Amino acid sequence: MSTSYRHRTRRRLAAVAVSVLAAVSLAACGSGGGSGSDAAGSGGSQGDKPVPGGRLKIAFWNDLQGCIDPNQVYWIESRSLDRNIADSLTDQDPKTGKIVPWLATSWTVNPQATEFTFKLRTDATFSDGTKVDAAAVKTALDGTRDLGPRSILGVTYLAGYTSTTVVDPSTVKVDFTKPNAGFLQATSTTTLAILSPATYKETPEARCAGKVVGSGEFTLDSYTAAKSAKLTRRAGYAWPSSLVANKGEAYLEGIDVSYIAEDSVRVGSLTNGTIDIAWPRQPISEADQQVLKASGASIETRALPGIAGLLLPNVTGGRPLADLSVRKAVQKALDLPSYAKTLFWDDYPAAKSPLTSSTPYFTDESAKLAHDPTGAAKLLDGAGWALGSDGYRHKADKKLTLTYLTPSPSPGDQLVQDQLKKVGIDLQIKVVTQAQYTPLATAGEYDLVSSYLTRADPSVLGSAIDQAATKQYSAKYSQDAATAARVSALFATGQSTVDPEKRGAAYQELQDYLIDNAVTYPLYDRLQTAGVSKKVNGFAFTSEAFLRANDIWLDR
Amino acid sequence: MPRYLAGRLAQALAVLWAAYTVVFVILHVLPSDPITLQLSAGGADISQLTPTQLHILKDRYGLDDPILTQYFHGLWNALHLDFGMSLTQNVTVGSLITDKVGSTLELTLVALPLMVIGGIGLAYLASYVQWRPARTLLARLPAVGVSLPQFFVGLLLIQAFSFSLHWFPATGEDGWRSLVLPAVTMSLLGAAMLAQLLIRSFADTWREPHIATARAKGLSRGTVQLRHVLRNASLPALTLLGILLGYTVTNAVVVESVFSRDGLGQLAQRAVLGQDVPLVQAIVLIAAAGFVVVNLLVDLLYTLLDPRVAAAARAG
Repeated sequence: MSTSYRHRTRRRLAAVAVSVLAAVSLAACGSGGGSGSDAAGSGGSQGDKPVPGGRLKIAFWNDLQGCIDPNQVYWIESRSLDRNIADSLTDQDPKTGKIVPWLATSWTVNPQATEFTFKLRTDATFSDGTKVDAAAVKTALDGTRDLGPRSILGVTYLAGYTSTTVVDPSTVKVDFTKPNAGFLQATSTTTLAILSPATYKETPEARCAGKVVGSGEFTLDSYTAAKSAKLTRRAGYAWPSSLVANKGEAYLEGIDVSYIAEDSVRVGSLTNGTIDIAWPRQPISEADQQVLKASGASIETRALPGIAGLLLPNVTGGRPLADLSVRKAVQKALDLPSYAKTLFWDDYPAAKSPLTSSTPYFTDESAKLAHDPTGAAKLLDGAGWALGSDGYRHKADKKLTLTYLTPSPSPGDQLVQDQLKKVGIDLQIKVVTQAQYTPLATAGEYDLVSSYLTRADPSVLGSAIDQAATKQYSAKYSQDAATAARVSALFATGQSTVDPEKRGAAYQELQDYLIDNAVTYPLYDRLQTAGVSKKVNGFAFTSEAFLRANDIWLDR
Repeated sequence: MPRYLAGRLAQALAVLWAAYTVVFVILHVLPSDPITLQLSAGGADISQLTPTQLHILKDRYGLDDPILTQYFHGLWNALHLDFGMSLTQNVTVGSLITDKVGSTLELTLVALPLMVIGGIGLAYLASYVQWRPARTLLARLPAVGVSLPQFFVGLLLIQAFSFSLHWFPATGEDGWRSLVLPAVTMSLLGAAMLAQLLIRSFADTWREPHIATARAKGLSRGTVQLRHVLRNASLPALTLLGILLGYTVTNAVVVESVFSRDGLGQLAQRAVLGQDVPLVQAIVLIAAAGFVVVNLLVDLLYTLLDPRVAAAARAG
C-alpha cells in the first residue's frame, strides 16, 4: 500500500518535472534575443504626438548604497534617477561621445588642460527658486571637493582641483594643479551635477537621504533607501541638454521607483502591467527576454561605458605571468565570442578592448584578441612549458597553475577555466569573502583578478591600472617598471590635451599597448538592459547608460 | 518560583552577552577594515586618501581606539541601545532598525497565528480522521511542506495569486492585501514542522495508559483529544514554536527578498553584503534578544502547562 503510493507519487512528480523541463527548453529554443536600439529613442508608436500625463513606474533590482545625492553616490541605479533631478554643466552625446552644451552654453580649455572656463545660460533656476549662476556652480564644485572620500567618484573626477573662480555672474573658471583633460567629460556626469547652494548647507548624510535640490526636469519628492523614490515634474522647466528633443517640461507627471530583487517577480510585474520598466543590473536573461517580448515589451540595451569586464595579471617576478609569452598565450587561449554567447546570448557583443564599446576613443582590438589555441600552444612550448600526460603543461616539475582570486564567482569563471585548460593551463578559482579579498589582493596573492568601472571617458582605465594615479593592486602588480612607465606616459598624454585627435591617438596607442603586452584581458562588454513596456514612448539612455526621461510619454 | 525566574533571566542575559561577544570577535578578526571595504565598493582605494582624510574616516568609526576599548565601549553603548553609525548608509543603526522593524514585526504577527492554526489544524485532522488513506495522506503532507524551499513557495504563490488570478499584489507594502502572500509563505515551513511534530506526539500520547483510562471513563474521542492529548502533546510543540519564532529574522531574509518588502531581513542581507559591521552586530543582537525573550516566555508557559515543571520550579 505504502509502496504503491510512493510509486504513484514518484511517477506524478516525474510527469510534472518533464513538463516543466519541456516548457523551459521551449522557451530557451526561441529565436536569439538581445536586440533593441542602441542609445537612441524608441517606442511603439513613433511619429505620434506625445501625450502629457501619467506616472512612469520603474523597478530596479536593489539599492545597496542607499544614497541619492548625485555628488556622493556611485550606485548606478541612483545615478539614473539623479540624471532627471539634477542638471550638469555639459552633456555627452551617447552616439559620438562628444561633450555638448547644457547649463554651460560654451567653454574654453587652455592647451595644458589645467584651466576650464564655462559660460553659463542665464535662464535656469533650481527648484527652490535660486538662480543657476556662477556662484552656484562654484559652491557646487567646492562642495563636491569638500566631500572628499565620501564622493568616491568625485575624488578622481576632480583630481588636482584647486579652485573655481567666479569671473562674472555667468562665467566660471575652474583651475587644476595638473592636467585633467577628463574633467570636461566629468562635468557631464551626475557626480558633478550642480545642486542648489542651499543643498551644500545640509550634512552629507541628510543629502544622501534625499535633501537634494537640483535644476532638473523632475524634483525629488521622497526617497526611502532600497524601498522607493518618487519624482514629480518640475513646472516651467525649459533648459534641457541640447541632446533632448523636448525643450520644455517633461511629459510625465512623475516617476515612481521601486526595488524588486527577484528577477522573475520583476519580469512578471512588467508583463502584468504593475510596472512600466524593469531595469536589472545584470543583463536580462534570454528566457526572460522572450517572456517580455511576448508581452509586447521591448528590450533596450546599451553598453555601460568605461572599463570592460577584465582580468588583470600579476606579473611579479617568479610568477608564471611574469613571462610575456605565457601572458600572450593566455590571451590567445581565451575565446571571447563564445564567452559572450555562452554566458549571455547569441548576439551579445564580445569584448573588443579593455574599454567597453560605448566609451569614447574605444578602439576595436578584436584582431589582436582572436582565439588562437595553436598559437597559444606554440608560445607555451617556446617558453619551456611542455604538455604533460595529465593534459597540463609543466616546466621543471612545476605545473602551469594560475590562481584567480575573486569575491564574487560567476559561471564565466568556469568557462575561462575550461578555455585555459584546452591549452594546458590549470586555472584555480579561489573564491574568498570580500573581507578576505582586499588584503589578499593587496598582498599580490594571485595571478589573475577581475575589474570593471563605469565612466564615459577612457581616463577611467587609469584609476585601475595607472601606477601614477593609484597604488591599488590592480595597477601595482599588472605591469613591470618599464611597462608601467609607458602606460603612465600614455595616460598622461591623454589627460594633458582636450584636442580630440591627440587624445584619440594617445588612447588608441594605449589600448594597443595594453593588448600587445597583455596587461589586461578583456572578457566581456557590460550591457545594461531594460525591459520597457509597449506603452512607454521615447525611452532613452544617456551616455553613461542612465535613464533620460525628458522625452518619455505614455500611451493613454 | 522567583528563584526559577531569576535563574532563567540570568541565563537570558548571559546568552545576549555571549552573542555580542561572538559577533564582535568574528567581525573583528576578519582581515579587513570597513574603510577599505567602503572605498573598494566605489572603485577607489585607500592610497588615494590623504592622511588627514583617512584619520577623519577612522575617527568617525572609532577605529583608532585599542580593541578592548572598542569592545567595552560598544558593549556599554549596546546596553543603551546605541549601535553607532551604519558604515554603508550614512545614518545611525538605531534609526535604520526602527525604520525596518515594523514591517518585519507586522509580517511575523500575521504569520505566527497562520503557522499555529495551520500546524495544529493539520495535525488534529491527521490524528482525528479514521479513514486510512486520508490519514496517511494528511500525515505525509507536512514532509512536503518542510522540503519545499521558501523562495520557491513564494514564487509559486506570486505566479498563481498575483500574476494569474490578480488577487494579491506581488510586491510592496500597501495594506493587508500585500501582507497575505508573504505571511502565508513565511508560515508554511513552521506550520509543516509543527504539524510533523504534533502528529508524532499525538500518536504517542494516544498510546499512553492515562488516555485509555480517560476513554474507559466514557469520555468521547473528541473530548479526550482536546483535553488530554492536545495538552500533553503541546509541550514539545511549544518548544519548537519558540525556536521557529527565533528564526524570524532568518526567514524574513528570504521572504522579504522575494516579495520586495523593506524589513529587517532585507536590511540584514544588505548589511552582510556590505560588511556593515555595526549594523550586522545590532541585527544579530536583536535576533538573539528575540530568541531569548521568546524562549523565556516558553519556559514560563511550561510551568503553567506542565505541573511537573511547576513543582520543580517551586521546589527549586
